[in-house]
Amino acid sequence: MSNLLSTLFIGTGALAANQGALEATANNVANVNTPGYSRKVSVFTETPPIVLGNLTFGTGVSLNKLESVRDAVLQLRIQEETGQQGALDALVGGLKQVQTLFTLQNGDIGSQISNLFSSVSQLSTDPSSLPLRQGVLTAASNLASAFRNTASNLAAQRANLDLSVTQAVAQVNTVTQQIAGLNGQITGLENLHHDASAFVDQRDVLINQLSGLIDVSQIRSDSGITLTTSNGTALVAGTQGLSLSTQTDSSGVQHVFAGVNDITSQLNAGQLGGLLTVRDQKIPALLSGLDSLAAGLATAFNAANAAGTDLNGNVGGNFFVPPPSGSGAATNMAVAITDPALIAASSDGSAGSNGNLANFSAIHDQALVSGETPSNYYGNLVFSVGNDVSNGSSELQSSQLVLQQLNDQRGSISGVSLDEEAAHMVEYQRAYEAAARMVTTVDQMLQTVIHMGANG
Amino acid sequence: MSTIRVNPQILPDLLSALGNTRQQADTATLQLATGSRINQPSDDPAGAAQLISNRDQTSQADTFLRSISSVNGLLQTADSTLSSVVTALQRAISLGVQGANGTLSGADRTDVANELTGIQQQLIGLANTSYQGEFIFSGTSTAQPFAASSVSPSGVSYAGNGGTNTIQAGQNYSLQVNLPGSQVFTAPGTDVFQSISDLITALQTNTGISGAVGAVSSAFSHITGQRVFYGNALNQLDTQQTFLNSEKVDLATAENTIGGADLAKTASDLTQAQLAVNAELAAMGRISQSSLFDYLK
Repeated sequence: MSNLLSTLFIGTGALAANQGALEATANNVANVNTPGYSRKVSVFTETPPIVLGNLTFGTGVSLNKLESVRDAVLQLRIQEETGQQGALDALVGGLKQVQTLFTLQNGDIGSQISNLFSSVSQLSTDPSSLPLRQGVLTAASNLASAFRNTASNLAAQRANLDLSVTQAVAQVNTVTQQIAGLNGQITGLENLHHDASAFVDQRDVLINQLSGLIDVSQIRSDSGITLTTSNGTALVAGTQGLSLSTQTDSSGVQHVFAGVNDITSQLNAGQLGGLLTVRDQKIPALLSGLDSLAAGLATAFNAANAAGTDLNGNVGGNFFVPPPSGSGAATNMAVAITDPALIAASSDGSAGSNGNLANFSAIHDQALVSGETPSNYYGNLVFSVGNDVSNGSSELQSSQLVLQQLNDQRGSISGVSLDEEAAHMVEYQRAYEAAARMVTTVDQMLQTVIHMGANG
Repeated sequence: MSTIRVNPQILPDLLSALGNTRQQADTATLQLATGSRINQPSDDPAGAAQLISNRDQTSQADTFLRSISSVNGLLQTADSTLSSVVTALQRAISLGVQGANGTLSGADRTDVANELTGIQQQLIGLANTSYQGEFIFSGTSTAQPFAASSVSPSGVSYAGNGGTNTIQAGQNYSLQVNLPGSQVFTAPGTDVFQSISDLITALQTNTGISGAVGAVSSAFSHITGQRVFYGNALNQLDTQQTFLNSEKVDLATAENTIGGADLAKTASDLTQAQLAVNAELAAMGRISQSSLFDYLK
């Protein structure tokens, strides 16, 4: 047969368990707005019963554990998508700045090309006119400066991206150090079989942040989490954060190094991935497109000028400064002549002949670069910029939607619902009141027992 | 007990929806303000590339039209100059016919010859006509083409050349815009100055006057023939001008089709976006910050 004291202990045990559960509820409510917080549910278990004779008595309840509700696989998906989004965000951000240089407006390369040919046509109506010749030189130098400005703006944007790369690497290093620190704390607590969920939540937030910066894959082991890039470069190994560094290469841009290994070309996801795509692929491709166009135009105009005779009766010299071989034609484009008389308009040596201007005008419809006329080639460049931004933007949008859904899903699993917490609070409060009532009753019964002897 | 849990944090979703809707409203506002659907290449990459080609063609059409109008002046001046030459030659012919009349005294013939000398001077002046500072019958030379000369048999020398200029007046369409003076005035056999000079000599010597008049007549027909060139050129340019103007209208229509904002649609997009913004704001204001806690006593 049971005794009163054990009934009393069942009551006090229930008080402790429900108070603990109420405390967990309080913590959930307190963290309702904490990013990355996973709600905790109280897990009650019945304590082992005792058997007396042919009766089995329960011994009450214990608060077995406070369990964090999280879905590790979902968390991985979120990290993956965050990496995607980080890359697209940086890509679209960078390309949008590039795009402003290719927006249709007066003074862009396209309109300056048209203006140059227009000035040549005007000159053909009065080939010996110095003002009209000056008009051609002005249009040519406007075109040259449009090329120079666009190219140097692209180079400046590239330098800005370079700065962002350095900053992103510094951020990566800060975050990996923090994750390594948390790894240590988590392993320490778990080895003591303590609840490390608060640190796990924080680590999830940091890994998410890291995924937004660089591509990350994780390996879970007993000694915590190991983080590497998708190519296997270690970022965090247990309690050790492995710092990345940046070094300037021969072309003057920062490369990302893990130890002595250049991992620049392996970074595809996260902000770094996006920044590097714009810096190392998109902008160089545009610059080389501009170079081809500038070189093509300069060479063609020089050839046209050399085919005729200038106002002084001499064979025409260079019209544009000859483009350097290789890159730099756009950055260095300049008109070679300042004297309008040196435009070789004449085909027969006479000052009034416009015969050679036809050679200039013909460039307008000539397959100059990659089988395209100058204007169409420029149109293609604008198309490729616009297309990159437009594709990137829609990918970014869908990635944002996916991430939003994943976060919704995470919220539906791990998020704190105030209604739920209120309901739990009522439950635990009632249970606590009932248990307290139980204790009072047992107390009265004990008094009865004590008084039983006194009265007898 | 298992319940369907929904994400309790709905504000981030609402905020992102609000951001998207505001973006739509901004885009519509920009399109209404600029009247253009393509304000940056990414709005329609292919359209942006088409617009570049369209604007290039428009600029070309404008250029051709400008060339045509500057050349028009030149051609008209040449045409009216040749018309004056024709009148002068008609007078010379009638003077020659008058001089061939056997009843005329030597003194009368000298008077006629003197008047012809004046006509010769006038013709040299006409042949040296310039348009905007450029001689129009000097070929591609910029030198004054005709001058009195004692070494030349006709008494007039030509300092220009035989070159011609063409201008581009359309895509794949060029037009010759001048005739050299050597072809118009001093072509062998129909040399205007030679024929007048010969007529003067004939009158002075009273020999072969009617033959000399015949030579002036053939010079006259030659000039009339040359005039046709300028008339034709003016005609062709006129046609080309009409064509280019209608091409410009087509290009402008195309530009509007490619890049113009559909104002009615854009305005309604804007209204819709604004309505959506208001609705979302209302929703955000109304998501009760209340929970079960508020109902517990």
